[in-house]
Order: sequence, then C-alpha cells, then structure tokens
Amino acid sequence: MKILAIYSNKGGVGKTTAAVNLSFLAAEAGLKTLVCDLDPQSSASYYFRVKPKLRANAKGFHKGGKNINKSIKGTDYENLDILPADFTHRNLASTFNKLKRRKRRLNRILDPLRAEYNLIVLDCPPSISLLAENIFNVADYLLVPVIPTTLCLRTHLQLLSFLKKKKYDTNKVYAFFSLVDRRKKMHKEFIATISREFKGTLHKSIPSLSNIERMGINREPVPAFSPTSQAAKYYRVLWQDVKATLLD
Amino acid sequence: MNMSLLDGRDGRKIIGDLAKYYSLRQEQPSAKSFGIYDTFDWRLFEKSLVLYSSEDELILHRLSDYKIVHHAKVSSFPNFVWDFPDGSLKTLLAPILEMRRLLKLAEIHSQSTIYRILNKEQKTVVRLRYEEIRRVNQARKPMFCAHLHVEPIRGYPRYYRKTIGRLGKLGFVQIEPETIYFEALKERNKTPGKYSSKLKLQLQPEMRSDEAAKIILRSLFRIMKVNGTYIGKDLDTEFLHDFRVAIRRTRVALSQIKGVFPVDTTKKFQREFAMVGKLSNELRDLDVYLLKENAYKKMLPDSLRDEINPLFEFLKNKRSRVLEDVKNGLSSRESTKVFRTWENFLDEPPEGSPTAPNAEVPVVKLARKRIRKRYTEILSTGAQILEAANDEKLHALRIECKKLRYLMEFFSSLFPDKKISILIKELKGLQDNLGNFNDLYVQQAYLLKTVDELPLSDDQAKKMTLAIGSLIGNLEERTQMVKGSFSEIFARFASPTHRGLYHELFVTTKGKAGP
Ligand SMILES: Nc1ncnc2c1ncn2[C@@H]1O[C@H](COP(=O)(O)OP(=O)(O)O)[C@@H](O)[C@H]1O
Ligand SMILES: [Mg+2]
Repeated sequence: MKILAIYSNKGGVGKTTAAVNLSFLAAEAGLKTLVCDLDPQSSASYYFRVKPKLRANAKGFHKGGKNINKSIKGTDYENLDILPADFTHRNLASTFNKLKRRKRRLNRILDPLRAEYNLIVLDCPPSISLLAENIFNVADYLLVPVIPTTLCLRTHLQLLSFLKKKKYDTNKVYAFFSLVDRRKKMHKEFIATISREFKGTLHKSIPSLSNIERMGINREPVPAFSPTSQAAKYYRVLWQDVKATLLD
Repeated sequence: MNMSLLDGRDGRKIIGDLAKYYSLRQEQPSAKSFGIYDTFDWRLFEKSLVLYSSEDELILHRLSDYKIVHHAKVSSFPNFVWDFPDGSLKTLLAPILEMRRLLKLAEIHSQSTIYRILNKEQKTVVRLRYEEIRRVNQARKPMFCAHLHVEPIRGYPRYYRKTIGRLGKLGFVQIEPETIYFEALKERNKTPGKYSSKLKLQLQPEMRSDEAAKIILRSLFRIMKVNGTYIGKDLDTEFLHDFRVAIRRTRVALSQIKGVFPVDTTKKFQREFAMVGKLSNELRDLDVYLLKENAYKKMLPDSLRDEINPLFEFLKNKRSRVLEDVKNGLSSRESTKVFRTWENFLDEPPEGSPTAPNAEVPVVKLARKRIRKRYTEILSTGAQILEAANDEKLHALRIECKKLRYLMEFFSSLFPDKKISILIKELKGLQDNLGNFNDLYVQQAYLLKTVDELPLSDDQAKKMTLAIGSLIGNLEERTQMVKGSFSEIFARFASPTHRGLYHELFVTTKGKAGP
C-alpha cells in the first residue's frame, strides 16, 4: 500500500488532471486504487461524474472510520474508487486545528483504508496550510507538477525549503513537468537545466494538449475516452515512470 | 447477483426494456471460449473448486460463490501440476491434483454484452453483464443458457436494489452463481463427483451374505471397468492404479468373505484375478519410480543430480514397451474371458437354495467374525515384532493390515459411522508406517537390480554408481527411521481404547455376534 499525493501550492498546474489519469492507469494495471478528492473545488469528483455531498455540516470525514467507508463511491472503472470532495473539506484545516495531533489527522482517517487498497492517490488543494502538513505526513511520495516557467520553479524551490525547515524528508518529493509547450524554446531549456540540478525529478513531462483539456467536456480520464491518443501515451509513460520509481 | 431467464423469453429485449426507466448504455459484445477442467476423479470439484482455461489464462474459481481464487498466465495448457508455472496457484493445486491429469470436461463459448445503467450525471450506477452460452462458437446456434450478472457499484445501493426488482418483474430469476458450471457439464452428460475410487456401499445388516458380497464385488467391478478402458490411453498413472486396487480388493473379498460362494467358483476367480493383476505389476513399478524422479533428485547432492538421468531415461523407454505388453495382455482372449465370466457370475440371481455354508448368514454376523479374526491375528503378529524386530514379520503384518482395511471398508456401512471411522484411521496410520517401510526396502532392491541393466559407458557407470549409492544411503536412513517409529505407532493402534472399540463393534454388539 502506497499513498501518493499530487501536490503543489500553486493552482492550475495540472494536479487534478494528473491525479485522475494516473489513478485510472493504476487501476487499469490491476492496482486497487482510491482517489481522494481533498480539494473543495471537487474537480476530481467532477471528472468521475460523482456529485460531492452537499451536507452542510457532515461530521464524517475528519473522524474517518465507518463514515468514510460510506462516502466511497465506485467509479465507472474496475479497481477504481473515489472518495468525493465532501463540502466539509472546505474547513478541514480549521477542523484539524481544534483536534489533538492535528498534523496527523489524515493518517488517522486513511489508515483504515490501507487494507483495502494498493494505492491511494490524493488530489490536493493548493495550500501550505495545516492540511498540507497532514498531507506531507501521510504521503509516501509527493508528486509535484511543475510548469517550466521561472515563477513555477520559484514556487517549487519555496516548497522544498519549507519542507526542509519543517524537517520533512525532501527525498520523497518528485517533480514532473506539466503543461509543457513543446514549441517554446524556453521550456526546453528550462527542462534541461532543472533536470540536471534536481535529483527528485522524473524525466518525463506532460505537454499541453487539447485532448487533455477535453477531459473537462468528456468527464473521463484521457486513456478511457481516447486510449491511443498522444495525450494518453504521455500519461502512460509518466505512469510507468511513477510505478518504476515510486511503487515497485 | 446472478439471474437467469424464465423459459422462452428474450433476454436482450428485456434488458432493452430497462431503457424505459433508466438511461442505459450498451457496450460492444465480446466473445470468449472456456474449457472447464478437472481430474477424472473430480479432485477439484471435491474441494469445491473449478478450473477454467481461456487462451493463455488459467482461472481457478471457488464453486460456492464463483469468486476467483487464483489466476495465472501460461504458454500452453498444463496437463499436470508439475507443468504449472511456479507460484501460488501451483502451490495450492499440488496436494490436490498430485499425479492426476487435468482433463477437459466441456468447452463453452460465451458471448457477453455489458449494459450500464447511468444516473443523471451519466455516471454508471449498476453494471449488467448479459451472457449467452453456447456449445459451439457461433452466435446463430441455439444457446443452452443465458445469464445476467448484475453488479452493484459501490455507493449506489438503491439503484442496485431497484434494478434487481425490475428485472424480476420482467422475467429474470435469481440463480446460484455456479449454475453455469453444472449446466455446461450436464450438457455433456457429466455429473460432478460421480466417479470416485472410494467405495460407497450401503449394506443392510440382515442381508444374506452372498448378496452383500455380490454388491461389494459389483461395485469393485464397475471401478475396474471404468478405469480399464482408460489404461491404454495412458493419460496418467492412476487409471492403472485404481484398476489394480479394484482387482486386489476383489481378491481379498473372495478370500476373506468366506464360504459365500461354491468353493470351486471362488478358487477359479481368485486364480484368474491373480493372473490379470500380475499382467501389470511391472508397469505399476515403473510408474512408481518415474513418479519419484523429482523426489529422488531432491535426495541427491547437486553434483550428482544429473548423473541419475540415464536411469530415468532407461525406465521411460522400458515403460513404453511394457505398456504395450499390458494393453495386449488386458485385451487378450484370456483376460476378456475372465471379465466376461465374472460379469456373468455377478449378474446371476442369488441361488434359491444355499450353495455354500455362509451364503444365507446375515452379513453383519459374517463381517464381525472376519474382522475379529484378522484383528486378533494382527495383534499377535504385532506383539511378536515388538519382541524381536523382523523384516519378514513386518512384511506379513502389512499384508494382514491390508486385508483388515479392505474388510472394514467393505462393511463400514454396517457399523456406527464415527466409531468405524476412528478405527479405520488408526489402522491407516499403522499401514502408512508399514507401507513406507516396505516401499523403502523394495526401492533399494529395485535400484540395485536396475543399475545392472543400464547400458552405460564406464565413466557414466562410475557416476551412476555414486548417485545410486548416495540414494540408497538416503533411503536406508529413512528405512531405519520408519522402522524405529513402528513400536510407538503399533502401541497406539493396539491401545486399550482401540481394543475396546473393536470389542464393542465386532464382538459384543447387541449380544448378537456369534462365536
Ligand atoms: N497537459 C495539459 N494540456 C492541456 N490542458 C491541461 C493540461 N493539464 C491541465 N490542463 C488544464 O489546465 C487546467 C488546470 O488543470 P488542473 O489539473 O485542474 O490543475 P490543478 O489541479 O493543479 O489546479 C484544467 O482546465 C485542465 O484541463
Ligand atoms: Mg485541482
């Protein structure tokens, strides 16, 4: 059992897109997989056509246990379940704040699910709040999509120094390039430099492709609606790399 | 949940009707062919397992709920457990299948279509798999059953319940998941569990002894006949083995169920079955040694492991010749005549007036007497061995035990089930000990004898001598160990508790047992 967090403290970098496609590919490869939609914006749930619970005051999630089992839904795909974004997630950080061992609440919540799944993929909201620390504590690996731009790189360096300062193991951080524009010379140069300088880099990147954008309309993972497309191929390659580097 | 169609309804149409209530999406149909496998004596079925093979895949289901227990990829179908790829499937099946071959019992061709019921978000909330099963791989041909698997999706229990309810109203009925297995076999006139090499007799205590004897002998003859037809096909070693055991049991029945048939008749058939049994002695020996190839190699040090190969090559070659002899022997005029006259004898109606002293004795009385006799003899031989260990006596004791065992099995239905089972189990423990001793002893002699027959170069011969020497050393060590444990095992067998049980069952019962 491994827990893989798709994390970045920036929005719009391709976290959810990666979480949806990678978890689909993991399930396809036979791993019993659960996607946890931790983002109150609930995009992952949306892609899997699952409506998040509208219960205004659901007490379930932060307690874990039975409540969480009831919230899990089967997706349209074999081996793949989702824990939809519950609206209580909106206040998850402040709820955790009031509890004991507040930085390890997520461990408590997910521990009972370890027996049932081979892989849990966390689709994280962009934040460096208490929720993020919970994520750092529970995840075996952080997979960080980085757009090859100066700004995005800066954010990534900030994340690494934050983790160092808080004494988290930075070895479990892996970056991959996301939304790469293959025509931009600058992107290429960036990738070359960064790959040289960071050890935690997967040498695979996901280009910007219209088929990936279409996920929003189709509400399906790319390899499900267009298994032979370029877009699907890129995610397969990334998945192979993630599997070989992090899961085997 | 599995459902099946009420007769005469069109499954596809009914599912189509669901579209009135739900958004329904149909996927491309897919076709798959499966073979269903088991051993001749239904070893998988007896363990509630079913093995399917489809192309390069083996799938082991649990019969009770049809859950997949294991699956494995193979390049070609493994006939025997040793042909399986190493892994958990092989480990699980090894003690069940042992040396028996997997036979294809039926082939089924399934055409299945998945239908998905969608909610307002167009999300799948129930999955239906409609499956038509045919004997031949052509969609036009009539099917012999149609099934609908209704799969719930986690988190949508209400849709599932409602769908089941609707399907029920439209003409589907719930069935057990293993129905396909039984229907496919029924289609082939096969009844799971029908053949077993174990005797399953039901005798009545007051029955005439000659009638009871015939029931036992007929049952043994059935086993002989069934297996006899397969020996020549050489599918695995156990057809011959079961055939031989049935002959041996027949001989013991003739000699031990005394005085139920005219002396001449009994003597004649005893002689004839001894003759038929002897025909395959050598073949059985070869089978035994060839089955031991791996076990022998494990006993040898790495450096000598391959040196023994010429021995097995030699035995294999010899076996093909000997098999031909056995085929000819069993289909010879003499053998055929033995079987024919025996069958006629078994079919003869019981004589009105008794032709032998025990013919009309109630069988339970005769059974007790014979078992008592054998048991007493075993106790005395065993006691002698305990005083002074003696290989010949051990050999004699093994034969006596076998006779007792057969007698108890022939007559077990006449005695309380639990109690006789305990005694049979104890006896089996003793027999295992004696049997191991004998096997190990015989093996050593056989190896020594055979090594002289091997056509070997000087160099090969040297290495072979080393290997055989090493093997015999190993076997001898085991022989001594087995011999060493005899007294303890025999003491258990002859313990006051067990003696008491024998007494209760075969001496005092209801005060009826005669002297
Ligand atoms: N490789 C890509 N090519 C094209 N569009 C992409 C790609 N990755 C993400 N997008 C689009 O970018 C937007 C943000 O992506 P998303 O995965 O939701 O980011 P995050 O979860 O990090 O906020 C979405 O509209 C998505 O469709
Ligand atoms: Mg997101």
